[in-house]
Amino acid sequence: MTILIVEDEDKTADYLRKGLQEAGYPVQVASTGHEGRQLIAQERYELVVLDVMLPGVDGWELLRLLRRTSGIPVMFLTARDAIEDRVKGLELGADDYLVKPFSYAEFLARVRTLLRRGSVRESERLQVADLELDLLRRRVTRAGERIELTNKEFALLHLLLGREGEVLSRTTIASQVWQMNFDSDTNVVDVAIRRLRAKIDDPHPVKLIHTVRGVGYVLEARA
Amino acid sequence: MTRWPRSLSQRLALMFALGSAVLLGAICMYLYDSLAREIAWRDDQALAGRIERMRALIDESADLEALRRRPRLYDNMLGNRDSLLWILDDAGQVRIAVGPSGIAVPQLLPSDGRIALRTIEGTPALRLAWTRVAAAEGHLTLIAGRLLAEREQMLGAYRLRLGLALAAGAVLAYLLGLAIAVRGLRPVRDLATRAAAIDVRHLSQRLDTAGSLRELDALRDALNGMLARLEAGFAQLARFSEDLAHEMRTPLNNLMGQTQQALSRARTAEDYQNLLVSNQEEYERLARMIDSMLFLARTEQTAAALVRVPVALQELGDQLCEYFEGLAEERDMRLLNTARGTLAADRELLRRALANLLANSLRYGEPGTPITLSSAVSAQGIEIAVHNLGPAIGAEHLPHLFERFYRCDPSRQGAGESGGLGLAIVRSIMQLHGGDVRVESGAEGTRFVLIFPLSTKFVVDSSS
Repeated sequence: MTILIVEDEDKTADYLRKGLQEAGYPVQVASTGHEGRQLIAQERYELVVLDVMLPGVDGWELLRLLRRTSGIPVMFLTARDAIEDRVKGLELGADDYLVKPFSYAEFLARVRTLLRRGSVRESERLQVADLELDLLRRRVTRAGERIELTNKEFALLHLLLGREGEVLSRTTIASQVWQMNFDSDTNVVDVAIRRLRAKIDDPHPVKLIHTVRGVGYVLEARA
Repeated sequence: MTRWPRSLSQRLALMFALGSAVLLGAICMYLYDSLAREIAWRDDQALAGRIERMRALIDESADLEALRRRPRLYDNMLGNRDSLLWILDDAGQVRIAVGPSGIAVPQLLPSDGRIALRTIEGTPALRLAWTRVAAAEGHLTLIAGRLLAEREQMLGAYRLRLGLALAAGAVLAYLLGLAIAVRGLRPVRDLATRAAAIDVRHLSQRLDTAGSLRELDALRDALNGMLARLEAGFAQLARFSEDLAHEMRTPLNNLMGQTQQALSRARTAEDYQNLLVSNQEEYERLARMIDSMLFLARTEQTAAALVRVPVALQELGDQLCEYFEGLAEERDMRLLNTARGTLAADRELLRRALANLLANSLRYGEPGTPITLSSAVSAQGIEIAVHNLGPAIGAEHLPHLFERFYRCDPSRQGAGESGGLGLAIVRSIMQLHGGDVRVESGAEGTRFVLIFPLSTKFVVDSSS
């Protein structure tokens, strides 16, 4: 499950590598397009994270080369978010893109999605510890007790449960639950989480929804 | 028009020359024609006169022999190499022939006593006058003629002179026209010189009206208008850059200050964590600002594409109310959505505009009051309004509310603030839609109104 990062900016490459390693993925870093090309020719990777602006062979070129020989998932990173750039990347066969500055949680979530793409089927019943969510019957129970949730609370919990253990950024949550695809600087997400907590966690000694300060929220059973 | 010279003066001169040539040509043709007619008429008069004199001579003379001997007959012909005189008898025999030899007597229709005139085309061309007279020996035909060669030669020379005069006139007209055009277009060059003198540092200068010409007023006004727009745009840009730098300074200052302060001595892990979280907030603020700035920069390029789709306002309003519901309840406020109808607009942008207005209302509305989202059609256009009951905004702030980074209270600068770009984005979105945004504030609260032009496709729901 090795991930290749092709990124010329040292700090970026460094924190991406550290982050992915902490998340349990083996990582290799190439700091130029040439190096990236060589590594791709020699090794097998599960995912390539590609910066578009590279010295020597640029990201587009590398993407073209990659697509000629293999179907490895590619995520490209760019500081230019003009629509033409995104379209170009996707047309060349990139699987996803992120515009700098991006949230780290967002990055990790996307990497996970790309790596498990096609392999995971949406489960109809989700469970973490004693919290259960039945998608078909739209029922949520904790320790066997039924919990009444509003539609959006249900959607929010579904998102958190489905990504158990993943830190979700506020942006991701706003976009997935409310289709708000822009950064609004209101604390709507915090409020929604607070209300969900009141129903899910407050009556119970073991808390499941956790705040990751400065990043977002995660649902997991912590020892 | 591509064959025309690129210089306006040359074009004018050329037109002037062409016009003059046409006019001169017409005059020359008229003069030439008059002269030719005059000469022909005089010649004819002379021929007729000669016939008359011949007739008188014949009347006076006993016979042709006597006539032939009369010196006067020849007198008026002597030295005249292109005059002819024939006297024929009834049998057609030439009895007297005066003039250049070798010219055959042409066949002529008999004349009935009056003088007939005719031009004989041939070599040489002749103009003849003839008549029949009764004489002692019976009827005689008198023919007076004139060779046309000389007249043709004269007229030919005259034509040549006219042609030369015409050509010279056209050339002179061109030169004169050029001189006039160059002189006449001097105000245009002056205007250009003055306009060229206005550079970036002197955008406040205007082209003066003194001594300007009526024809150039439109151009000058257009240039001045352009200068005014440039100046305003430039001023805005300069102010904007300044604001941007200033706005970025605050989070940067926080970042630098608290990081340096934290690093000045060893701290607990918790302290470092707090610092990082605080830094993260500032970073997010910067990132949001950059996002908003880019959004504004893009929407202000008219090239930015608008994806218009039918947007059901009630549904969109409900979505937004649902989104802000929790926040509203925390502030003890209620969100009411009475917007109805389906509007052709860019859904994402409209959502963003309304979200900004709702967030704004939630921020400034009085706790315990409702916020209303409504729609209406007025004379100005299709309106979507967000109304809150909060303290009135000072009248002096209203015209500036939609400017970037404008704050009613310069000292207020909370971390949760929209960075002063929220309303600017709303206005930008509305301008993209060809509409506008308006704000009213008073004792009845504050109302932000998005106005779409009446031409926007809007369907009122039949169900409501």
